[in-house]
Amino acid sequence: MSLVCKRCKAIFDTEIKFCSECGESISKHIEIKKIETINLIIGFYATMLVFIAVVYFIGDVYPENFVADLVIEITFALIIIGFSILDFKNILKLYSVQSINWRLLLIVIVTPIISSLIVYYFIEFVTFLMDNGESSNYFVSYLYLEHPLFWAIFFVAIMPPIFEELAFRGFLFNKLREITSSNLTIIATAFLFALIHFSFISFLWIFPFGLLLGYLRSKYNTIWLGVIVHFLHNLIVLMLDYYDYYKMLE
Amino acid sequence: METAETLGELTCTHCELPIIENTAFCPECGYPEKGDEQDVAKFYAKRVMAKNKNMDAEEKIKSARNTLFVMAGLVMLFGFFSFFVNDDYVTLIINFIICCIYLLLGGWSKEKPLIALLLGLLLYITTIIISAIIEPSSLIKGILWKIIIIGYLGKGIYSASSTKDSN
Repeated sequence: MSLVCKRCKAIFDTEIKFCSECGESISKHIEIKKIETINLIIGFYATMLVFIAVVYFIGDVYPENFVADLVIEITFALIIIGFSILDFKNILKLYSVQSINWRLLLIVIVTPIISSLIVYYFIEFVTFLMDNGESSNYFVSYLYLEHPLFWAIFFVAIMPPIFEELAFRGFLFNKLREITSSNLTIIATAFLFALIHFSFISFLWIFPFGLLLGYLRSKYNTIWLGVIVHFLHNLIVLMLDYYDYYKMLE
Repeated sequence: METAETLGELTCTHCELPIIENTAFCPECGYPEKGDEQDVAKFYAKRVMAKNKNMDAEEKIKSARNTLFVMAGLVMLFGFFSFFVNDDYVTLIINFIICCIYLLLGGWSKEKPLIALLLGLLLYITTIIISAIIEPSSLIKGILWKIIIIGYLGKGIYSASSTKDSN
């Protein structure tokens, strides 16, 4: 990788700290670039926070409103895509379909089965401990619609994996990677992924799940594995909720 | 012949690392090999300034780390308060988890200041937004304190990004 002096435009093949032509500090410019990246990370995360706050507000004003749900989902997708355009070239690389071997396929199918079961029974256990009797059922939230199962799958199992993976394992991962090592990036993206779910109790299981997704992204340099794991995980939890609901009716 | 060459090898006047002939500035420390006295004086002045800045950065990182520990204490205190006064043990558990995260990040900021402080700041603004969702008026409550805390953490992050041990 060659360095270019920002002041006199001289090109250097070896890593240097000062430009030998004009004496300009090279590390100063790296520092400025780093600060810009940090600002972008904070800006991105803050935008998501404000967006989620607005979502809660809309949910209070328009409960069980299909148009509101759809508008929220589209706005979320547009925000993520908007930020991704800033890093378009690097994000596009993550979508290349590489040769997926049988071992990888096995991993991405078995892991979500295990993770979703752990999470499902962990939630049951926590709700039991809290004994407020109000267990969260993803499926029930979509009963007001004509085809609840279809929309539940769409809103819970299809949309979040696609755009959350793009946001956390795509944009945020790439930006954090610019300022720190890959192991720290995995930890940081998992941390923020858990944080944005706004539940400090589910932090205990979303954080390890985020670590796994981050590891898959880091090791195989593709976003697809994460999308598949995330999709299957959400789908299985949703299906268990669906089963629970009809068992309860009987 | 060989010994003559190695003896005649050019080195930087300041850091004594080998440099190529006709180099105007040392690529390692930026010493002006071809400059006059004024350039040399400027070079040393810049080094002193950079050193001061680095020491200043260490101080700011330390303040930011202490802010994280103070936050951990306050969160836990508030958790105990809501438990003993309002008998609210859910808040106690949640605040205990947040307190632990602040402590972990604070300790971690000794080794990895940049990433630990960045996560600390983002955790803090997340708790502000969550409180605002539950009770919108909490956003304005103690806004001065919020700005001070964010300011300390922000300064720590920017300082950490300029020191070389942040990676």
